[in-house]
Amino acid sequence: IQKLCDRVASSTLLDDRRNAVRALKSLSKKYRLEVGIQAMEHLIHVLQTDRSDSEIIGYALDTLYNIIANDEEEEVEENSTRQSDDLGSQFTEIFIKQQENVTLLLSLLEEFDFHVRWPGVKLLTSLLKQLGPQVQQIILVSPMGVSRLMDLLADSREVIRNDGVLLLQALTRSNGAIQKIVAFENAFERLLDIITEEGNSDGGIVVEDCLLLLQNLLKNNNSNQNFFKEGSYIQRMKPWFEVGDENSGWSAQKVTNLHLMLQLVRVLVSPTNPPGATSSCQKAMFQCRLLQQLCTILMATGVPADILTETINTVSEVIRGCLVNQDYFASVNAPSNPPRCNRPAIVVLLMSMVNERQPFVLRCAVLYCFQCFLYKNQKGQGEIVSTLLPSTIDATGNSVSAGQLLCGGLFSTDSLSNWCAAVALAHALQENAIQKEQLLRVQLATSIGNPPVSLLQQCTNILSQGSKIQTRVGLLMLLCTWLSNCPIAVTHFLHNSANVPFLTGQIAENLGEEEQLVQGLCALLLGISIYFNDNSLESYRKEKLKQLIEKRIGKENFIEKLGFISKHELYSRASQKPQPNFPSPEYMIFDHEFTKLVKELEGVITKAIYKSSEEDKKEEEVKKTLEQHDSIVTHYKNMIREQDLQLEELKQQVSTLKCQNEQLQTAVTQQVSQIQQHKDQYNLLKVQLGKDSQHQGSYSDGAQMNGIQPEDIGRLREEIEELKGHQELLQSQLAEKDSLIENLKSSQTSPGANEQSSTTASAGDSEEVAELKQELATLKSQLNSQSVEITKLQTEKQELLQKTEAFAKSVPVSGENETVTAAKTTDVEGRLSALLQETKELKNEIKALSEERTAIKEQLDSSNSTIAILQNEKNKLQMEITDSKKEQDDLLVLLADQDQKIFSLKNKLKEFGHPIEEEDELESGDQADDDEDEDDAEDQDP
Amino acid sequence: CPLSMFFRKVFLNSFSGVGKSCLLLQFTDKRFQPVHDLTIGVEFGARMITIDGKQIKLQIWDTAGQESFRSITRSYYRGAAGALLVYDITRRDTFNHLTTWLEDARQHSNSNMVIMLIGNKSDLESRREVKKEEGEAFAREHGLIFMETSAKTASNVEEAFINTAKEIYEKIQEGVFDINNEANGIKIGPQHAATNATHAGSQGGQQAGGGCC
Repeated sequence: IQKLCDRVASSTLLDDRRNAVRALKSLSKKYRLEVGIQAMEHLIHVLQTDRSDSEIIGYALDTLYNIIANDEEEEVEENSTRQSDDLGSQFTEIFIKQQENVTLLLSLLEEFDFHVRWPGVKLLTSLLKQLGPQVQQIILVSPMGVSRLMDLLADSREVIRNDGVLLLQALTRSNGAIQKIVAFENAFERLLDIITEEGNSDGGIVVEDCLLLLQNLLKNNNSNQNFFKEGSYIQRMKPWFEVGDENSGWSAQKVTNLHLMLQLVRVLVSPTNPPGATSSCQKAMFQCRLLQQLCTILMATGVPADILTETINTVSEVIRGCLVNQDYFASVNAPSNPPRCNRPAIVVLLMSMVNERQPFVLRCAVLYCFQCFLYKNQKGQGEIVSTLLPSTIDATGNSVSAGQLLCGGLFSTDSLSNWCAAVALAHALQENAIQKEQLLRVQLATSIGNPPVSLLQQCTNILSQGSKIQTRVGLLMLLCTWLSNCPIAVTHFLHNSANVPFLTGQIAENLGEEEQLVQGLCALLLGISIYFNDNSLESYRKEKLKQLIEKRIGKENFIEKLGFISKHELYSRASQKPQPNFPSPEYMIFDHEFTKLVKELEGVITKAIYKSSEEDKKEEEVKKTLEQHDSIVTHYKNMIREQDLQLEELKQQVSTLKCQNEQLQTAVTQQVSQIQQHKDQYNLLKVQLGKDSQHQGSYSDGAQMNGIQPEDIGRLREEIEELKGHQELLQSQLAEKDSLIENLKSSQTSPGANEQSSTTASAGDSEEVAELKQELATLKSQLNSQSVEITKLQTEKQELLQKTEAFAKSVPVSGENETVTAAKTTDVEGRLSALLQETKELKNEIKALSEERTAIKEQLDSSNSTIAILQNEKNKLQMEITDSKKEQDDLLVLLADQDQKIFSLKNKLKEFGHPIEEEDELESGDQADDDEDEDDAEDQDP
Repeated sequence: CPLSMFFRKVFLNSFSGVGKSCLLLQFTDKRFQPVHDLTIGVEFGARMITIDGKQIKLQIWDTAGQESFRSITRSYYRGAAGALLVYDITRRDTFNHLTTWLEDARQHSNSNMVIMLIGNKSDLESRREVKKEEGEAFAREHGLIFMETSAKTASNVEEAFINTAKEIYEKIQEGVFDINNEANGIKIGPQHAATNATHAGSQGGQQAGGGCC
């Protein structure tokens, strides 16, 4: 190997290298590890450099394939399997470590030469098988990688095309992005073509491979499913199922192919797909008659059981939740001989379901089909239940009805039939309150002579007889479904006094593990009869049942038992898929829809049990108040609606009134302008009148007249203003005069004379008064100074008199100074005579002053009298002013009243409209001045 | 004879969030979904339209805008008859990257592929960053059809798709596209009898070699 590798690496001759590679190839199977380790690098190098020679490339690819692929024949030896597995993946890892290697391989696939392309395809397939995700990623990012591989499907050589399909299978395994690209590259078209070419289900393994690839492309890939549907490929599936009635060929390959084809249909309508996608595929399948084709297989004879089973499952999912398809399915009849007693397919299927001899999977499939037929199909549910009702039961007994079969199954000795029939019946009641009530009417004739028993009663009877677990579980599930959301059924159930003790007994007992599930279901049933209890039975009111639980079982215990259901190992399995799919009959315990019910109710029942009766009451009160609130709300809603209508009417009224109002307003403005004209005319007249009246009397006289024009009022105001000014003036004069009088009064007391004071008295002038005051003051001071002089002189005279007396006395006493004294005496005597003269003059002066004073006094008196006169005058004026004020006030009041009147008149005007107003206006305008005054006031006051 | 055709189209753009998926949803389902999951890889959509009296089914692949999916989206150029290049008028960066993406498209696609330039979110006038004139100029320069659309208000959405389809249709009439070559993204098949003419049923099983009436 070493040598060969060296030759591959170093030889310059192509032939040499080719031979060496061929030798390596022949060794590679036997000495996989050695060749792999030593030659890998060289082989890759050959792929890179010797592209021109397809032969050597072919050998190299073959060798690599041998190294990497885990050949199935080789794996016969169990022990080495794991080892070779590891080997393959290790070599794959080495190979793809260099991303270019994969890219190189992809480019080699473009080579048309068979010797290159085929081993290339095989090598890439095995690479993908070994380390799928990594290789997928590399192919995805290499430009046009996926697209190139798609071209393999167009290869005219079948081997390559077929291996290409295998390659794509490996490529698309759980890789959405690649699946989409492959689909984009027209894979659907090509694969469907191949399937058609190969003869549909009669084709060989190629068809199988193509179907597997289609499944890869469509499973869980919404985008591709959508494309498949939009590309109208569903129509092309229909011929697949045209298998005919002939029993000729059901080869293993055909069974496999058909099985895959059915699964492909199911992929498109799987309940796990988005609802919209599934329903549009379902419609398409009906429109292209694929469903019809499937139903013929369903009713055909000689179809292998597993194909029949899968067909039933497929039909189930094609009709599930799709009313059109469900209706079609209900109308399908089984062809029979003679044709007069055609039986509906549903009946035929149900017969298989309750038939012990049928295969278990087939019975499950029928149950699934029945469930799918009833899923979201109220009409179908009604039809099934109605076959049980007394009125519709076919008295002739010629044909068996679905209801009869179900009842028969329900009470047969076969526990699987019991279970299936119970679940089927439960599905007829699913989310359908009407049918739950209807089913209460069903009566059963048990045996001759005994009165008929209700179906509900019979169920509980059988339950209490203690039979196989599946029977009891089935019946309990049926009862739980029946009673949930149906208080009437609860009442019926409780009406049988044996039921509650039976349930409590079951729950309270300490039984083995096997019985735990039944206990849980009993707890659920009891819980339902509490939760959906409408308290119509006095002895089994909610709180009484709760007390019972508390006493007999204990709350905690009850809840624990209830929890057994969802903790059961089969519970989660059933909750995953709607299809009842059990590996063996013992696993047939839970129904999918029932698990949903448990999920929904477990919590609320637990809450209801823990809740005290007070809380219950409160809740009911709350409910009641809520209802009340609801009614109040609806009441208010109605009210609001009414008010809304009223509002609308009123709005219309308002708008019409607005219109009218606008019209009226224009009329009013016209009127106002008319009035204005009238007023102007009136004013003119008034002015003329006023000229005469001004001569006659004072303003206030005029004011007393009723017809005062605006100008008059203005004038009046001005006059009042004047008068006020006058009055103020007079008041100030009065004040001056007062002060003057005061002055005069004060001056009266003083002896001094004032020459000018007489002049002041006559006038009321303030300046004169001030002058007078000043003069008076100066006079006073003069008077004072004069009187001071006089006293001085008098004292001087006194002194002189004393001196003269003293001198006269001294003369006789002293003789010596006779001459001096004589001279002195003459001097003194001269002086004395002068003084006397002076005194005389002063005395005269005083006389004159006192005369003057009396004159002033007289003047003062006269001025006092004039003041009195003036004061009288002032009082009069004041009186006059107050009078005029009063009048003015009266006028203002009058004006306000008139304003009010005008306003009300205006409102009236608005209410009654134009004509009345016009009359008013005309009347007022003609008859009285008052009305116009009102208008004036209206104009002026604001 | 009436014919139905399949036109395949691809959306492409350098940025996510410009509203490609919303445009497609508006066109196929006539509804707007403001919050849309990020497109992972590629999503398929289809709608039947009528051009020149002929029923034509548009198959549209909506590709993810994110860079990480770019190698995947490239695979969709081959075999597309038309492409819509979408940018967001409120995001200048989406407009600036158009050239790169246009080059990419031209490089990997059929040279006759009809490309329409679309400025989406025209309802968000207040947040506009790319003027209509700029879009027009870019389209003129590169020989594209141009339109501003709003997936939210459905304005111009129909027109955008139908105009692209018309353009493809005209190219077929001119003989530019070889309708026998599937790689061009066009398939013509005879229609079934009119009585059976539901949308889903109108497409014949076999490719009819493109014989036009």
